[in-house]
Amino acid sequence: MNHQALTPRVTDPLSNVEVAVRAKDISKDYGKFKALTDINFDVLRGQTLALLGHNGAGKSTLLKLILGLITPSKGQIQVQGQDVRAMNVSQSLSIGYLPENVSFYDNMTALELLDYFAKLKGVTKGKVHTLLSEFGLEAAKDKRLGTFSKGMRQRLGLAQAILAEPKVLLLDEPTVGLDPLASAFLYQKMAQLKAQGCAIIISTHELGLVQENMDRALILGRGHMIASGNLTSLREATALPAYITLHAISNAQRQQVLVDPILASYIGSSTPQGIRLSVPVTQKSVVLTLLLQKLKLEAFSVESPSLQDIFHYYMDKVDAPSSHTLSTDISQGTDIIKELAQQAKREWVA
Amino acid sequence: MSRERVLQRNAHLSALGIITTIAAKEFKDNLRNRWLWMMTGILLLLSLSVGFMGSSISGSLVIFEPAQILSGLVTLSVFILPLGAILLSYDSFVGEKESGTLLLLITYPLARWHIVCGKFLGHTCVMAVACILGFGITGFMLGMLSEVQIRLSILIGFIHLISSGILLSLVFVLLGYWISLIVREKAKALGILLVLWFVLVLVYDLVLLTALVGLADTLNRNLFNVLILLNPSDLFRALNLLAGPSDTLAVKSSLALIAQTGIGLPLMYGLLICWIALLLLWCSWVFKGQEI
Repeated sequence: MNHQALTPRVTDPLSNVEVAVRAKDISKDYGKFKALTDINFDVLRGQTLALLGHNGAGKSTLLKLILGLITPSKGQIQVQGQDVRAMNVSQSLSIGYLPENVSFYDNMTALELLDYFAKLKGVTKGKVHTLLSEFGLEAAKDKRLGTFSKGMRQRLGLAQAILAEPKVLLLDEPTVGLDPLASAFLYQKMAQLKAQGCAIIISTHELGLVQENMDRALILGRGHMIASGNLTSLREATALPAYITLHAISNAQRQQVLVDPILASYIGSSTPQGIRLSVPVTQKSVVLTLLLQKLKLEAFSVESPSLQDIFHYYMDKVDAPSSHTLSTDISQGTDIIKELAQQAKREWVA
Repeated sequence: MSRERVLQRNAHLSALGIITTIAAKEFKDNLRNRWLWMMTGILLLLSLSVGFMGSSISGSLVIFEPAQILSGLVTLSVFILPLGAILLSYDSFVGEKESGTLLLLITYPLARWHIVCGKFLGHTCVMAVACILGFGITGFMLGMLSEVQIRLSILIGFIHLISSGILLSLVFVLLGYWISLIVREKAKALGILLVLWFVLVLVYDLVLLTALVGLADTLNRNLFNVLILLNPSDLFRALNLLAGPSDTLAVKSSLALIAQTGIGLPLMYGLLICWIALLLLWCSWVFKGQEI
């Protein structure tokens, strides 16, 4: 009997895209310690969700909940419309996972390792060779893993995660300790998987890299979901300014900027080399229009708030001195965290 | 219904395949790191030394009687085999926890008892090969050099030594799993297991023998038997003394009394197997309830 066929297809009402992972009111307590509180999110087919947060914020706990390795104290996690705790073998094969800092078995070769995992997943040996070749490990397939670099190990780790062609891929800090080329390779592979419809949840601290490759971010602070959304909505929510730098402007143009009531109000700094404007995201298009049409300026650069800026904005709130007053009992939370969490939940529900 | 149970139900048909895959990997690991050949070499050296050079202790160079050889081998094996088994298994789970591979493995579509049984089957093969080669070669050589009349008793004695040696090793392999499952560091697992080995193999036996000699008139015979059965290493010793050539008991003074439990060989084997079955179930249960 095909169990997957019986599973109701859950779709996102707005996009009509299939929901690959749904977390509904997830909480996880360890005794009095609340590791996660009221987490809600959807990851659609072909989407990448970045899980962000300090160490100990609950990212790995959340991944383990999605894997069904631990049971939530409250709420439910669905993968492909099925409660993850009640998944059968074929359904559990739809999840691929790469743990943080996995070191595998040093005495095995790459071929032996993938072959071992393939047998456990019921995957053919042909697939093993295809993946070794696809991940640039064919030449090193008979070398012991003990001789592999961190980048090669992570490539192998990602290869084992996608052995059974999963619908959902969970990656826990996959680029830690990797050089830029190795990181770029992993993200390139992730983009290919995404294009094939795989939903990816990636926990990471490398915000610059993930910003370019994610569809949504979920920011955790002390076990609470303090923000979630795509980069645009997060920029709007934080209202962090965008920076517009005017390069090589003439004196006449400089004068025009200084006398314009809108532009002048956003001047952050002015030097002989140029002017730097600090513009609220909501006003960015207005300012750009002014610059292009009124001043006929062409040499300027725009820096929107990066994911890193947004992350720091939230972490500064979470780590504000008042937040530390109850740091030994985060079950109480803090007003700021609670407020952010409620706001994030309202946005999610909306 | 828990995920574990659903997996068990659905994976029932392929359970044997999963277990043998894990077992094969464990066996190959021990071939690669030469542990298997090291253990085999130690047992072979031990049995050859006892078999062909044991008499030098008494100032003569003759081959001992089969009873003396087997008795000497049992006395030394009861130390070596459990120690080898502990060294084989102490990092089976805690080591994989540290490297992250256990976390990865339990996300695969297999039940946790598959992992315990797979590792156990692999380690069973390792210990079996080590015992068969380590003791078997000496047994074969002694048999060939002995007179035809006693050849059969040597053969039978070595068969019991090998089979009960494998069972004793497996008990300690499983004790190794248990400790490996409940601690967080490899070094701690090894430390606890060495204490356990010391108590079960040496201290327990000495206390039992002291009690037997000192309280011979008052100690209840049934209680004594139960105390022997509670310790797998004493069970191994008793089994081999009982199974050895007929003159084995006579030459072993107080140790011989351990063998006089009034319990037959099949029951002794059965009890060792019970130890293994209970520990296997226990380890599977402990692992099942763990959050990694």
